[in-house]
Amino acid sequence: MKTVKFQDKVALLLFVLIFSPILFLLVKSFNQDTETLQYLFKNLLFDYSINTIYLVLITSFFSLIIGIIPAWYVSNYQFAGRRIIDLILYLPLAIPTYIMAFTYSELLSFTGPFKITYDFLQIEILGILLAFSLYPYIYSVSRISFSLFGSRYYDMAKNLGLNAYQTILKVVLPLSRPAILSGLFLVVMEVLNEYGAVKYFGVNTYTIGIFRSWNSMNDSGAAIQLSSILLFMVAFLFFVEKYFNKNKRFSFSKNTQLASLNSPNNSMKFLIYVICLIPIILAFLIPVLFNLINIFSSYEDINFERLLNLTFNSFTVSLIASVLILIVSTFFLYNEKMSNSKVYYYINQFISLGYSIPGAVVALAVVISVTSLDNLDDNIKLLGSFSVYFLILIYAYIIRFMAVGKSPIKSSLEKYPDSYNNSAKNLGLSNFKIFQKIYFPINKYAFFTALTLVFVDIMKELPITLILRPFNFDTLATQTYEFAIEEMIPLSSIYSSVIIIICCILLIFLKMFLDKSNVFRN
Amino acid sequence: MKNYIILFFSLFILASCEQNNSNEINIYSKRHYQVDIKQYENFEKATGIKVNVIKSSDDELLERLKNEGKNSPADLFVTVDAGKLQKGVQMGLFQKIKSDIIDSNVSNDLKDINGFWIPITYRARLLVYSNERVNKSDLSTYEDLANDKWRGRLLVRSSSNAYNQALMSSLYANLGEETVTNWSSDVVKNFARDPKGNDRDQVKAIAAGQGDIAIVNSYYIGLLLSSEKQSEVDAGKSVSVFFPNQGDGQRGTHINISGFAMTKNAPNKENAIKLLEYLTGVDAQNTYVNNSYEYPANPKVKPSDLVQSWGDFKRDKLDLNALGTFREKAIKVFDNTGWK
Repeated sequence: MKTVKFQDKVALLLFVLIFSPILFLLVKSFNQDTETLQYLFKNLLFDYSINTIYLVLITSFFSLIIGIIPAWYVSNYQFAGRRIIDLILYLPLAIPTYIMAFTYSELLSFTGPFKITYDFLQIEILGILLAFSLYPYIYSVSRISFSLFGSRYYDMAKNLGLNAYQTILKVVLPLSRPAILSGLFLVVMEVLNEYGAVKYFGVNTYTIGIFRSWNSMNDSGAAIQLSSILLFMVAFLFFVEKYFNKNKRFSFSKNTQLASLNSPNNSMKFLIYVICLIPIILAFLIPVLFNLINIFSSYEDINFERLLNLTFNSFTVSLIASVLILIVSTFFLYNEKMSNSKVYYYINQFISLGYSIPGAVVALAVVISVTSLDNLDDNIKLLGSFSVYFLILIYAYIIRFMAVGKSPIKSSLEKYPDSYNNSAKNLGLSNFKIFQKIYFPINKYAFFTALTLVFVDIMKELPITLILRPFNFDTLATQTYEFAIEEMIPLSSIYSSVIIIICCILLIFLKMFLDKSNVFRN
Repeated sequence: MKNYIILFFSLFILASCEQNNSNEINIYSKRHYQVDIKQYENFEKATGIKVNVIKSSDDELLERLKNEGKNSPADLFVTVDAGKLQKGVQMGLFQKIKSDIIDSNVSNDLKDINGFWIPITYRARLLVYSNERVNKSDLSTYEDLANDKWRGRLLVRSSSNAYNQALMSSLYANLGEETVTNWSSDVVKNFARDPKGNDRDQVKAIAAGQGDIAIVNSYYIGLLLSSEKQSEVDAGKSVSVFFPNQGDGQRGTHINISGFAMTKNAPNKENAIKLLEYLTGVDAQNTYVNNSYEYPANPKVKPSDLVQSWGDFKRDKLDLNALGTFREKAIKVFDNTGWK
């Protein structure tokens, strides 16, 4: 009989730690009064759901268009400036959705530079603005997927008599579907969680409903119930998608030759530039220039000491939380890979669920769980001190962003056949040694990707930071937000610019690192 | 490598352990105006008492207070809506504040009749109208906004907004359910567009010709007119301010306060009272009015010149706690009449 291994004990402990606030939320939602919930169902939720679905559809549609099409051309054609265009197409990820929304609200408003009299606060415009910040999720996965197709697929398609258009539709897109869906999943989650911009645009989404029951109807219980329902719906969608794709896992055959880049003719080149420059200009250059120009107009108001202090705060919380997420998610995913039991598979599904709940509700769940610990005994006094709230803040980030860190590591680990570990085990290596000697080196790009993506996400994070931060603790994001909601956009610009610059540097660094890895053809 | 990580974390935890000195005040604040930073700095200079602040939304801060219970480090809670203060009182989070200085500093009709919260400033939720397209003589009361002469001309933000909820609560308290429900459904018919944006966006929409009158808070007009952007000043100048319900026998314009409450277990109670005495005093009140265009709670202080130029007005004397007690009913009126 085998005793429980040390790593399994650690796993259990970590799992309980990460999942318990979510569990708390679910349990609590069952012993709440349902009066408000019934009221919402009767009066508002239908409208709110329709708006949510419509907004998700618009953002998904535009994210797919401006994500997939440029990715296709960059992956398959050689043209001047290709590498720099490729790089910039990722960078809108550095711009938080609220900064995108505030920027365009200024530009499109009647008091903006164009004196636009048209009422720009429309759900369709909001959907497009969200797509501007979110399409890189689609672009990045499409780029990797399109780059990995071997020439054999194209040759075969050609032999079957398919033209270029049919090849894309019948071969490329179906083969890339799992990758694109995983990117789209992140886009949809982000839209579901969006609060500031949807409220400003007067678009009543499901998340607005959660906050309406909490803030306006004084019923945090109903907010918990609505969040649980949202969580179940997302989990359901997720599992349905898993179920239908169960037998469709693709492994790209490695021994096929990577297709070489095509040289486009002049009219094709023109088309490519237009297609790639549209997202670059609208989703990157305009917001970045707008913020930079604003800095110059408010230069004398900048408090550099404070700026430095907030940059340090943002950097510290992002770094600590993203390193911890990297460690924990690698630990679970690696155990899933090495273990024969299905337990780790389920653990990995469950700890991702935090991503489907609005940040503010994650924060609420964490406060409630820590409080209940506090109330166990009069001598326990967890809440109150700076360091405890600092830890709680990090804890909430981990719960919320675990899914973001896991996703690149998971797809990278899946690429390698189990035969690797069997042979290593036959050589008598321990699991840890196998990780150190084999999995860490071959997956290092995925680890770095995970670290960067989580870091960038936390750097931009707002609701959790606002609720859980300790006294006098501001970050670049909270300061940007405070100025922006008071419509002091010029003053907020220096803080938002620092967020954008730091995130851009990291993303550029990541891209260069990945380029070296030959993930992409160059 | 491992050692570095351990070193890093221990350094960090050391750095983040704050000393528990008692010469401080901890505030949970919904207000996030620049003027507040200035006030707390001035107070610190005058008294040596350090003011620590966490800024977030009021409901979330109340939830945090509730959960922290007796362990909460917070001494004071400040927000921009009497209704939310009343909510905190209902949740049993606050204690009464007793100070003769504060009592003599603050206008009587702004005070909490139960003594739980202290107003520092107030704002009027008033009407602005297009100078080009509206005659001042057509404006009279909030009730009159239901008149079909305003069909397709009225601008206002969403019913999720606390200021609108407070206004609807005051109307509910003053007029009763049936009247206010009829009023609201007629007002919705008069909307120029679906409710959206913030208060300043309503003014800009008038300037852009999307509507003719709007319901907004007084200080936003001040902020627009004092903007560094000429286009915003122009937008502010294209409208005029109107205080509704000023006629003989009418109840006055709806107002709301910014106010502080003291938490039940405030660890620095004396310091907190000192701060409130300071903030309601003449100097601090002058700082408020000149930076945020709010009205002072202290009757000895005059509003800023710009705000004075709109003229005096009669305030609705409704007990401001009604803005909290009637909120749920107000929400139902919004929902039943399709005010998004």
